[in-house]
Amino acid sequence: MRNSLKVAKWEFRRNIRNKSFIVSLFLTPVIFVIFATAPTLLSSFGDDESESTKVYLNDQLGVYDSVEPAIEEGEFVDWDVEQTDADLESMKTQLQSEEESAYILLNDETVETGTVTYLTGDELGAGFESAIRVFEQPIKQLQLKQAGLSAEQMQVVANPIQFESVELTESTGEAMGEGETMGFPYERAIPAIFAGLVLFSIVISGMMIFQSASQEKKDKVAEIILSSVTTGELMQGKILGYFSLGILQVAVWLTMALPIAIWKLDDVPLLEYLFVPETLLLTFIAVLGYLLFASIFVGLGATIEDYSTSGNFQGFVLMIPFLPFVLIGPIFSNPSGVVAQVASYVPFTAPGVLIMRLSALDEWPWIEIIIAIAVLILSIWIFMKLAGKIFQVGILIYGKNATPQEIWKWLRA
Amino acid sequence: MEKVLSVEHLQKSFKNTKVLKDISFDVHQGEIMAILGPNGAGKSTTIRNIMGIMYPDEGRVTFHNHNGDEIPRHKIGYLPEERGLYKNVKVMDILLYFANLKDYPKEKARKRALDYLKKLGLEGKENASVEELSKGMGQKVQFIGSIIHEPELLILDEPFSGLDPVSQEIFKDEIKNLAKNGTAILLSSHQMNLVEEMCDRLFMISKGQKVIYGSMDQVKAEYANFKCTIRGKNGQNTFKSLPDVTRIDQSDDISVLYLSKDVHVTNWLKQLPNDLNVQELSVDRVSLHEIFVDIATDKNIAQEAGESDA
Repeated sequence: MRNSLKVAKWEFRRNIRNKSFIVSLFLTPVIFVIFATAPTLLSSFGDDESESTKVYLNDQLGVYDSVEPAIEEGEFVDWDVEQTDADLESMKTQLQSEEESAYILLNDETVETGTVTYLTGDELGAGFESAIRVFEQPIKQLQLKQAGLSAEQMQVVANPIQFESVELTESTGEAMGEGETMGFPYERAIPAIFAGLVLFSIVISGMMIFQSASQEKKDKVAEIILSSVTTGELMQGKILGYFSLGILQVAVWLTMALPIAIWKLDDVPLLEYLFVPETLLLTFIAVLGYLLFASIFVGLGATIEDYSTSGNFQGFVLMIPFLPFVLIGPIFSNPSGVVAQVASYVPFTAPGVLIMRLSALDEWPWIEIIIAIAVLILSIWIFMKLAGKIFQVGILIYGKNATPQEIWKWLRA
Repeated sequence: MEKVLSVEHLQKSFKNTKVLKDISFDVHQGEIMAILGPNGAGKSTTIRNIMGIMYPDEGRVTFHNHNGDEIPRHKIGYLPEERGLYKNVKVMDILLYFANLKDYPKEKARKRALDYLKKLGLEGKENASVEELSKGMGQKVQFIGSIIHEPELLILDEPFSGLDPVSQEIFKDEIKNLAKNGTAILLSSHQMNLVEEMCDRLFMISKGQKVIYGSMDQVKAEYANFKCTIRGKNGQNTFKSLPDVTRIDQSDDISVLYLSKDVHVTNWLKQLPNDLNVQELSVDRVSLHEIFVDIATDKNIAQEAGESDA
């Protein structure tokens, strides 16, 4: 164990001083932020380009007062309204020169015929046609008022028909209501997001194990190291070392992300939701997931000297941690469904699937969780043993990649 | 001299081929013991079995001055045949890591590393990245790595491969130095000339089997008969009448006469015919190199000699 720690420390220090690791450590969150914010940023750039439309309004009905607040806020339309007394003919000449402006005439005739007459400059976009509907409701009300309807009657006419569904069971109905008022179920999602982040990060560093084992083979340094430590110790050391790297990665990302998240979601008690027992269990599952994938990768890495000439077999194995992504749809649509249950018992998908399910479920199926974790721990033990066997033989085979047949033979030896 | 390592009746098979057949030898304190043999003879396999990187099917490997079945890894220095270094690390860092793995104190290791870097002509390279080193420099760093912890037993698998003649000399001197200071050294090689100059005892292996085992003088006395090399224009028939000649190799002006084992050299020289054309004449023992080549090419003069001797 002491030797494993030495190896772990070495692997950790070696990578932490590696420029590409440092760059990716800080660049990954930056890239995430860019991808998350770029679309909104770009669209807001787009907004800035089109200046607000100049609208000359000849309002003889006095309906502008009722729509003014909405227009001022700029929520639906981006108008710069100027009240005017000018008539249609005089505006025609003015709009020839002001191509991005519009003129709206609201008078008694409008109410009678139900037709709003407007005039637009050449450059004005098609969006104006729908924007002008902001006047529809007040003019309608005016029409109804003139028709002699009372306030209540007007209310009835103005209200659209609503459809409401009633849930079969009361409890879920309540839960849905709760979720709706929150907008997003932060309380349950935050521990899961955290655990998912941990899992993602350490699986990524687990893939670095694969590279490290393969590189060790390529650099032919393994045999020198193995004159000081056993293969088991070297393997454990690598797993441990890259685990700490993964944790460091999470820590760095969180210190960068947390302040931003707290600032953006200032109405959500983020830290309160994060530091709950659930986080602990979910993180524990994530760590188990890491151990499973790390042992698979370290064994696999020892079979490959040159990744570019390795067969499909190894590439396929590398994809295993991403299996749960395929299941995202079925699991969130039915967290207690057959797919979700079965996937919880399959060791390769269990970590990711359990984290997803537990964030979606209100009542945790403890028996299922315990069985799934037991299966996971057992398979970690088995895969560590198998990886040890592959690693022991594979790391000392020089000059070629191992074929699946060879690997099978080592496993049986 | 005190035994440091004993290998007894080692046997190992890969699939159905027996690659080691009953290999036994000892390594003593302060001596240089060489395992010699052509490629694929089983040298590296023997060494890997000693290092516990492989396990023998049968036989025992005993480390004296050490109790228990485990290999005393911190007392052994090992330079494998297939060797390399981590790429993007500093020379000093990797040397300190090797020392740390052997539980050697850090400051002592640093000092020793600097000493040896200087000795091997790598002064000032301690902070260089391994990537920047040439192949020969890398070999030197690996060598330092294998001796940084003052091992009792140093195992070197093909230490001279890939070295230029100057570096070979430096390595040779350093290995001799270590032996003088009491380190037991086991090295494998197929570069006979180097081994002949430095080793005390040798174990020659071919196809997984012992061919010769003994001290250098003993081996030379026993297997390396005299040969007489004559430069000058002489016909085949000139040598026909000479006694004690087992084989004659002639090419151009050079004739090599291999003499039988119990020849008396001075008496034999007196019998050379008077009309012999001699530009140069030398009498020396068949070199290790020649024995080795003969074994490798299955001529087996040593074996024949050994058998007839037995």
